[in-house]
Amino acid sequence: MSDHAHAPEAEKFDPSKLGGLPNVLLGAGVAGLAVTAVGAFVVGKEQFAYTYLFAFSFFFTLIMGASFWNCLHHATDSEWSVVIRRQVENVASLFPVLFVFFLPLLGCVSILWKWWDVQPGVDVLLDEKQPYLSHWFFLLRVALYFVVVSWIVTSLRRHSTKQDEDGAASHSLTMRKLGIGGIPAVALTITFAGFDWLMGLDYHWFSTMWGVYLFAGAAGSSMSLIVLIITALKAKGYLKVVNSEHYHIMGKFMLAFTIFWAYIGYSQYMLIWYANIPEETVYFIIRNQGNWNFLSTALVVCRFFLPFPVLLTQWVKKAPERLRYVAMWIIGVQLLDIFVIVIPTLKKTGFSFLDVAYAICPLVGIGGILAWLFLKKLTANYLFPTKDPRLAGSLNLHN
Amino acid sequence: MSDAVVSLECPKELERVPLVTSARKFPWITQAVSEIVENRTPVWWWVLFLPLSALALFGLTCIGYQISNGVGVWGENHPNGWAWDITNFVFWIGIGHAGTLISAILFLTRQKWRTSINRASEAMTLFAVMCAAIFPGIHVGRVWMAWFLAPIPNANAIWPNFRSPLLWDVFAVSTYFTVSVLFWYTGLVPDLATLRDRAKSRVVKYIYGIFALGWRGSNRHWRHYEMAYLILAGLSTPLVLSVHSIVSFDFATSIVPGWHTTIFPPYFVAGAIFGGFAMVLTILLPARIVYPKLDDLITRQHVDKMAKIILLTGSIVGYAYLMELFIAWYSANVYERAAFWNRAFGWYGWAYWCMMTCNVVIPQFFWIKKLRTNYIAVFIICQFVNAGMWFERFVIIVTSLAQDFLPSSWGHYSPSWVEIWTFAGTFGIFLSLFLLFMRFLPMIAMSEIKIVVPEADAHHKPSTAH
Repeated sequence: MSDHAHAPEAEKFDPSKLGGLPNVLLGAGVAGLAVTAVGAFVVGKEQFAYTYLFAFSFFFTLIMGASFWNCLHHATDSEWSVVIRRQVENVASLFPVLFVFFLPLLGCVSILWKWWDVQPGVDVLLDEKQPYLSHWFFLLRVALYFVVVSWIVTSLRRHSTKQDEDGAASHSLTMRKLGIGGIPAVALTITFAGFDWLMGLDYHWFSTMWGVYLFAGAAGSSMSLIVLIITALKAKGYLKVVNSEHYHIMGKFMLAFTIFWAYIGYSQYMLIWYANIPEETVYFIIRNQGNWNFLSTALVVCRFFLPFPVLLTQWVKKAPERLRYVAMWIIGVQLLDIFVIVIPTLKKTGFSFLDVAYAICPLVGIGGILAWLFLKKLTANYLFPTKDPRLAGSLNLHN
Repeated sequence: MSDAVVSLECPKELERVPLVTSARKFPWITQAVSEIVENRTPVWWWVLFLPLSALALFGLTCIGYQISNGVGVWGENHPNGWAWDITNFVFWIGIGHAGTLISAILFLTRQKWRTSINRASEAMTLFAVMCAAIFPGIHVGRVWMAWFLAPIPNANAIWPNFRSPLLWDVFAVSTYFTVSVLFWYTGLVPDLATLRDRAKSRVVKYIYGIFALGWRGSNRHWRHYEMAYLILAGLSTPLVLSVHSIVSFDFATSIVPGWHTTIFPPYFVAGAIFGGFAMVLTILLPARIVYPKLDDLITRQHVDKMAKIILLTGSIVGYAYLMELFIAWYSANVYERAAFWNRAFGWYGWAYWCMMTCNVVIPQFFWIKKLRTNYIAVFIICQFVNAGMWFERFVIIVTSLAQDFLPSSWGHYSPSWVEIWTFAGTFGIFLSLFLLFMRFLPMIAMSEIKIVVPEADAHHKPSTAH
């Protein structure tokens, strides 16, 4: 293989090219969080809690998705994704920061998760699940999610950047083990965190598909985020090593997860609709009322029916200038998905313009600071792994 | 910009192992695969074929007996209206998943190692779907009315229930079978032409010639072939998911505790791939013993990769079991909880623990590389998976029905001899068809495997070939 490839130059991002962007992001982040906090006095603590959970969950799914792709790359000993892997690592390694953003939610536990304050003997169904929905166990799970996944993603990035220096095969082998162990860890984290934080918004409701549903959205939207990051870097003159063949594969994954999301979403909806058991249908009934019905329908159309035919064509998948629009679209609909999951629990009859406007504040807040941290990671290391044993294969990729 | 040298070297321990070992060339591959068909029928083949086809015939006799006497000859009763038959239906449909997964999804994801195993797996898919189709067909009781399933009587204003997943099943399975046959046949065309060109007898040449559709291997033929193959792969991929998803709807749309759960579709698909791969290995590992030349084509690397897929899908199935158990408990629904309690500790608890051991615990041995590349160990583990996947369907179907809402309506189920021998008969059918396939068609896709050897690369330097 290596006889076909010409070694490209190693690339580091020149921080001066960013200009004032990091400051703008940091400023926007701080301002966004400040407005969110101040706004809490206007809209009330309840709305603050739900809106903040919405913003947090959106970034949680994006970063969990990146953690999945990072683990998958190593677990399958992939070749094609070597040149994009550093950016996946940069996103995934933001996971520990999410813990800091989770802390405000701990101040709102009794607002978001109603079971928190219910005394034993009041709700028979809750009494039955008390061993799981208990304060100490909830907090222990939060700690477990953050400790385990943080350890995996930071270890992966550490080994990957170390390999840039020494090129040792041992890093690849260690990362493979971390990746293989990481997949079940990521799967269980997204499942049970999804149960605790999102499904738990109505502690009576349950669906065995819930974890898979969240995973489907997370994987597709985080691959879209990677496409956007790579495309932005290419626009700045970097990552010429990423060519249309790599885009083709990223586009295929976006397509695959567009279909997979629809498959999982349809199955969950159809089975609940068909069996028509009140304790299950309650979730969809709320989301089919008032103007939520409009958003629920829009979600189906925008998350599947629109991107699906577009992503079928190579003309879109292979071209960064086209695929990036689809990527933006998918991230946008992921936002919509999480909005429709979280906010109806509070606003059962419908949402108002104010709900949407206020939701933008924590999004800008958390997003700005995460993006600022991302830029720090971006400039700290090479833009693609320089001594990965599979680099030659990735450069030579042919679909 | 750069202060570090980019390295494109690959350390020895990470070098890829070639897919075809011993640096085999094109003519060797053609000879090794074609001679299986061309040589005289070996004695072992007759030794296997005769008893297996007798078993198949006995199974068919049992079906005849059941049709002439009615479904009452089975052990099914009230409340176990579905039991052995639908267990077998789902079991065989599941087996039929690996072939199309290998040929379609692994093709689309450019997994070149599929080329050694796709042909035999696809054949297996077809035979498994044939065996599966028998069970719902004869379970309708009046088989002469089975055509009602294909909503032909609409013309007489007798409308089948289009809202019933049982009807969707008919569409799903028949579409899957049709596309799988087309896919399999399209892939066979170049290899049939090879057999035609090598044939010594005029009759054989003529027969293979008809099925080779005038294939000459021209550039135009290959272009059309590649296009057709890609389109069929694209069409087959959603079918791999849809068939077992719809089979799972048969259960999950109901409100029977233990059946109605939203994770069923992906859980059934993962289980089907899991069981399908186990059956592929069950058949291919012995085939490598009787045809030692296949050693260079179906290598330890292939077996290792299939074992990894079994481990992965087995773990997904384990995840689904966990979700089912957890949500049954979390829902605090007394019936759901009772259904799962009865699964584990009720009348058929032994079947549940067989399932858990075979599907979740035993495949974990595949974490150990030594076991993944040890053919005997792989074969033994695959037998556990085969058994486990049968038990899974039995557990889902029978434990949920036998002990449902009201203890007064509970009822035991045990299979009658007719059911047992019908199921045994389908193994006879499946294996006899596979033996026939081995004798008359190239069981490895020669034309495809040639594309993955170094010789196929235009930049290949023969002196460095390994």
